[in-house]
Amino acid sequence: MSAINQAAVELFAAKAKPVSILVSEADSLERALDLAVSVCEKKPLAHLLLPDAAPDSARKKTLAAPGLDETSWNYLAEAGAKKGFEMIRGGLRNYLAGVDVTISVADLGVADTATCVLECPKEDDRLATMICETHVIALAKSKIVANSYEAESFLERALAKERNYTAFISGASRTADIERVLTLGVHGPLELHLVMIEA
Amino acid sequence: MTAPTMKTYHNSLKTALDDDFLRQTLDKFAVQYRANRQLIFADVNEKELIAEIADAKDASLDQLDQLYERFKIEAEKKGVVVHRAATAKDACDLVCQLAKENNVQTVIKSKSMTAEEIHLNHSLEEAGLKVTETDLGEWIIQLRHEGPSHMVMPAIHLSRHQVADVFAETTQRDQDSDISKLVKVARQELRAKFAGADMGVSGANFAVAQNGSIAICTNEGNGRLTTTLPRVHVAICGIDKLVPTIHDALRVIKVLPRNATAQAITTYVSWITGAVERQEDGQSAQKRFHVIFLDNGRSQLIQDAKCRQALRCVRCGACANVCPVYRLVGGHRMGYVYIGAIGLILTYFFHGHERAKLLAHNCVGCEACKDVCAAGIDLPAIIQEIRARLTEEFGSSMDVALLGKVLANRGLFHTLLKFAKWAQAPVKKGRYIRHLPEIFSLGQGFRALPAIANESFRDIWPALKPPFVPGAKKIGLFAGCAQDFIFPGHLRAAVTILAKLGVNVEFPLTQSCCGLPVQMMGQRAAAIATAKGNVLAFKSLDVDYVVTLCASCASHIKHRYADLLAGENMSADVKAFGDKIIDFSSLLTDVLKVKPETFVNNHEKVGYHYPCHLVRGMGVVEAPKTLLKAAGDYQPAAEEDVCCGFGGTYSIKFPEVSGTLLANKLNNLQATGATTVVTDCPGCFMQLDGGEAIRGGKLKVEHMAEFLARHLAK
Repeated sequence: MSAINQAAVELFAAKAKPVSILVSEADSLERALDLAVSVCEKKPLAHLLLPDAAPDSARKKTLAAPGLDETSWNYLAEAGAKKGFEMIRGGLRNYLAGVDVTISVADLGVADTATCVLECPKEDDRLATMICETHVIALAKSKIVANSYEAESFLERALAKERNYTAFISGASRTADIERVLTLGVHGPLELHLVMIEA
Repeated sequence: MTAPTMKTYHNSLKTALDDDFLRQTLDKFAVQYRANRQLIFADVNEKELIAEIADAKDASLDQLDQLYERFKIEAEKKGVVVHRAATAKDACDLVCQLAKENNVQTVIKSKSMTAEEIHLNHSLEEAGLKVTETDLGEWIIQLRHEGPSHMVMPAIHLSRHQVADVFAETTQRDQDSDISKLVKVARQELRAKFAGADMGVSGANFAVAQNGSIAICTNEGNGRLTTTLPRVHVAICGIDKLVPTIHDALRVIKVLPRNATAQAITTYVSWITGAVERQEDGQSAQKRFHVIFLDNGRSQLIQDAKCRQALRCVRCGACANVCPVYRLVGGHRMGYVYIGAIGLILTYFFHGHERAKLLAHNCVGCEACKDVCAAGIDLPAIIQEIRARLTEEFGSSMDVALLGKVLANRGLFHTLLKFAKWAQAPVKKGRYIRHLPEIFSLGQGFRALPAIANESFRDIWPALKPPFVPGAKKIGLFAGCAQDFIFPGHLRAAVTILAKLGVNVEFPLTQSCCGLPVQMMGQRAAAIATAKGNVLAFKSLDVDYVVTLCASCASHIKHRYADLLAGENMSADVKAFGDKIIDFSSLLTDVLKVKPETFVNNHEKVGYHYPCHLVRGMGVVEAPKTLLKAAGDYQPAAEEDVCCGFGGTYSIKFPEVSGTLLANKLNNLQATGATTVVTDCPGCFMQLDGGEAIRGGKLKVEHMAEFLARHLAK
């Protein structure tokens, strides 16, 4: 594991502000997962976007994490179940009307544009990060590089693979298409939380 | 839609100018964009990056066939099918065929200018497919059955109320005009479209040959859903979007979002490689992924030495963002599919000469676009070249051709101007022409036009020539026709100052018009003839500098003569002449190093208008301010460097636009509380002075030389 570039970490946090990324810190991935559960608990129930959705009273909150490893998923699933959430690890096509929260782990961070880089080779990874109302991304501080040129070798490896879909994500989904008024939450998440992990 | 005629085009310009919402929106945008752009470029080296992008793009254009082959090999290894379409029709047919083969009923699209270029929606609908745009702006204009008015913000011409109306019609429910609620309507309505679509059509900002990947920049995230949910993904892009490596793409990404919307990066950049995994009935399957490279004239354009730079374009839309004409009339009159300066150019190459015929003239030549272009494209030069070609193809109106012939012959031109002095006598009123003959005066009432002077500068020069000072610098004076024949007072003032500063001044009588006016009108032969005459006029004089009081002459000589005279076997003389050209303000501050004591400062409040060809054409920023602060009480005005609307013959061709630009300019200057307005170009002077005369304002307009001569210490 590479060392933490403190300057890059600070730059990332500074650049995240103007693009409305909500930044926090955590000691470990487990604490980041706790935070995702807490965010899910506090937010209002997701507004479903497809017809024939179940009435709000008959719905549980939903928390998706298709990309987590076994151990982390087990931890999250237990914490989420305690809060009465429906926990989703796959089959995201069944949830196109929307989920409450998705938590993912970033593969890289680019400081000067506040960008999280996520490899999403599987459809579930891509959908989960788009159809949630709140996206929580955990990013190890040691994975933050100063600028996009420093992300080049990572990207080269990612795109050399036979099939891959690598996402640069630098904020919540946004538009200024009506009267140039900036509005968050068009087709994707309404909110993006970034948890920087001490690792 | 057929190409507009001159009459319908002018009517449409008039409608746009009367559209208060459009005017307010674009005004606000123009001002905010400039400020935001400056901020977002603060942490990168803008000029260096742009130069690198220009070089890299040029290198890619030289090897597009190889890049295409490499991309195809790499992508097809990964299960992607790569196609090349020669024409717009071929590309549309191909997408329709893919839809048929894959049993597609519904199509969703994320924003693609290339798809707009080939009118893909039209073809898909003809083939019986249901097509939905998913970029919010694109969806709005699709519902309204209109084209984009900006490359990045396609619905910028619409108000929230208009959007609410069209959403109400679509959803059959009343809609609030609150913007965040309208965005939620789109979120809701389009999710079902995403969920049910069989095919997703996207564009691509980059096609990376190195590994057969494409990259797409979006803010809304519709690009990710479009390329993820449907069974089939078709990406369509111009062959010019091929880049060799990831590094090339990353470099452009440093500038594209900054230039487009003043963002450090778009919210999403999606890098797609290979036919990625998808879920089909709960099973893991592969997407069907096709990439179509569109030629549609691009291969030919690469061979076109004078215009190929246009293919460097990264579609950021900045040339529209800073264009003073776009700001007044909006994208529907400032382009066809592609908008702004690049729109005038690409319309000619992609959508036919007939459609570009009028558009190509609606450029005031202020060079604001060139100044911000992400790929360093010399947009105004290409627009001028296209005008020349259109003139060669379609001919020019009688008066323009005649003017070209006259200007190409210096003797005839100067004789005619002397005649005109007598001929105008019945219509002259003081310094201005009282009224113009009907044929010339249509729409010209927004400013008074100056009369030709009783005595031209060349008439009075022998009496003005300062006595020879041994050992002093020798300055050549290039007059240009406006100051020689209409405003000789500017030159007289300059000579007074130069004499006071003790330098030698030479004024060769064989010089003539710089040739820019005829060049702007597309009269190539005349532009070459006048340029050649001027180089020869100064060739043997052995001057240290050639000063001109006209920023347009200066910029034209310095930047365009080499190209114009490339076939004349005189490149060393042309270069020597160009290198000596300097503007009046810079001559005083940088060469002659005038001191504040040279002037008497009685704290006259003075504002400044930057001629486009001075601030951008010659890159002069500080010199005029330094002089005004020395000789007066300089009052900075808002948008000092925005065009006054003159643009030479532009103001004759498009008086409605020119007059509005002028009104904005005068209002900004008046707001400073200045009593005098100074500029460094006779064209701007004519526009400002004539405009102020018509509106009966109190601003005194002067050329820098006049203002300084008036404040010269005894």
